[in-house]
Amino acid sequence: MKGFQKILIANRGEIAVRVIRACRELGIGSVAVYSEADRLALHVRRADEAYEIGPAPSRESYLRMDRILDVAKRSGADAIHPGYGFLSENAAFARACEEAGITFIGPRAETIQAMGEKTSARRIAVEAGVPVVPGTLHPVTSDDEIRREAARIGFPLMLKAAAGGGGKGLRLVPHADDLATAVDRARSEAKSAFGDDSVYLEKAVLKPRHIEIQVLADAHGNAIHLYERECTIQRRHQKVIEESPSPFLTPELRERMGALAVALVKKVGYVNAGTLEFLVDKDREPYFLEMNTRLQVEHPVTEMVTNLDLVKLQIRVAQGERLPITQEDVRQTGHAIECRVYAEDPERGFLPSPGRIVALRVPGGPGVRDDSGVYEGYEVPIHYDPMISKLVAWGRTREDAINRMRRAVSEYKVLGIQTTLPFFERVMRHPDFLAGDFDTSFVDVAFRRHEVVREAPWEVAVAAAAIQAFRDRKARRGALSQSAGAAPVSGWRVRGWREGAGGRL
Amino acid sequence: MIFDVSVQGRTVKAEVKETTADGYTVVIDGRPHVVDFRETGRDFASLLLDGRSFEAGLERKEDGFVVHLPADNIAVALHEAARGSAAAHKKASGPSRVTAPMPGKVVRVLVETGQEVAAGAGLLVMEAMKMENELRAPRAGRVQSVAAREGLAVETGALLVVIE
Repeated sequence: MKGFQKILIANRGEIAVRVIRACRELGIGSVAVYSEADRLALHVRRADEAYEIGPAPSRESYLRMDRILDVAKRSGADAIHPGYGFLSENAAFARACEEAGITFIGPRAETIQAMGEKTSARRIAVEAGVPVVPGTLHPVTSDDEIRREAARIGFPLMLKAAAGGGGKGLRLVPHADDLATAVDRARSEAKSAFGDDSVYLEKAVLKPRHIEIQVLADAHGNAIHLYERECTIQRRHQKVIEESPSPFLTPELRERMGALAVALVKKVGYVNAGTLEFLVDKDREPYFLEMNTRLQVEHPVTEMVTNLDLVKLQIRVAQGERLPITQEDVRQTGHAIECRVYAEDPERGFLPSPGRIVALRVPGGPGVRDDSGVYEGYEVPIHYDPMISKLVAWGRTREDAINRMRRAVSEYKVLGIQTTLPFFERVMRHPDFLAGDFDTSFVDVAFRRHEVVREAPWEVAVAAAAIQAFRDRKARRGALSQSAGAAPVSGWRVRGWREGAGGRL
Repeated sequence: MIFDVSVQGRTVKAEVKETTADGYTVVIDGRPHVVDFRETGRDFASLLLDGRSFEAGLERKEDGFVVHLPADNIAVALHEAARGSAAAHKKASGPSRVTAPMPGKVVRVLVETGQEVAAGAGLLVMEAMKMENELRAPRAGRVQSVAAREGLAVETGALLVVIE
């Protein structure tokens, strides 16, 4: 079987860098595409080839199938890796690749369509005997119908973009009064993120845990699961911390959810990597939420505990190879935690904080992995997702992994923009997090309520700042005397000036 | 050199005395600390403070530094005591100015000039990094002017709405 010679990565940021790394290790050429705003992005610097595909807005660049396929043909790429987001769950794109004779590294277009459209996935899950959250099984478009369905399901409810993912176009609606505003906002976000403003409704599960199962299947009918990821800690319905194993699952529930996931994957003839997201309620009942028919942001957590390289496995499966492992070969070893480092200010409600990274120091040492898309001097653009890196720590136990993460966060320095790192430092010593006792409201509710506040070493900061200010002032005066010295003046005048300056210092 | 310093809601005096090329005594509110300070790269320094070791990132700000310590980022505003007090607190009064909290794009404007708004009422929706954020009225009042226009790209601090 013939392997790929060259892979085009239809994405940007850290995930494009991640795929390029896998290509390089496999001896496969890599082709980057980039928008006008991304000429200096890390993925462009790391790839073997790079081509511009349009202006900064995603709709005019990273979502332009025609331009991406054109670059694929021009550069002679035989496959396209879509990463996550952008075109990764776009069935039309997968089909267009097939038609152009280029392998789409992901499931078949029909599967993306069936599982990617959220209400259709829910119907298929029901047919496969997988429990789902009560709600609408079809997208709803008219305001009338939304009101009617909402009344039937009852409040609180979740309003979701039918074409959605990544927390975009998703709103919790506590009361009937909040429905109209939430519908407007969700639709507008869905329209701009996915080009489709249809929504669906689900009953809100109270105190839920968000737990997902990683699956992997080849084109020869083999399908396995790679256990779970705990993704409960979210802000604005977007994950910020993930871990595996979940401290909440019992061995029985873990096996059961794995088996449900494999059953669903086999039912739809799924090929390549995918993730089934579940809500698990306080009585440990799992409900299938949706399937992500692509690589997930948080895949490193699974890689760390299973010792597998998911991107390489994706590439091998896409080349037509059989899975090199069976379910029995997959072991969950130790514990891994991922913190998503966002260019956001946790002190101001996680408001985006784009700008220039003035200085950067990245942690290292045992069990630490940083999947980053930025570098010192890089300007984080306003046009795209604010995630700049994923910091992952592995340990033999959950406690080891937490201690290691806290150590890694303390070594991580990003100057020039606000990041979520200080938030992670606080979470890693939060009593509820240490106890594994949290639900999706953790960031908004429990975090502040139960946090043990520690006094910061402010005197150290004052000493550092005061000495630096002192040195700055001294250096400025030194520079003044030097520029005077550089001027064509006679020897005695220079000496006189320097002595004068020295006296003032 | 003596600095007036404000840090985490406190106001303190800090005096820096150079003892050797890299050695300093810093007296913070009367308490002396012996500090060895070495630059370890642009914007970074290693401090040995009374024998304790700290790696500090020093992010320059208009009025001082944000000091990045292993577990804390601490904003330290400081100015030399001699010419200090003039720059002290300027209090804003009069109309409330709602400014852009981040660079981004105005997606929708929800109010018009002359309209009465309640505290917390939505004024406009901004988009940055693919997320929409509603900016709300800081207090009740009448909208005096609306500088924001739909589709407008704005920088941090750009004036959007004034409420009187």
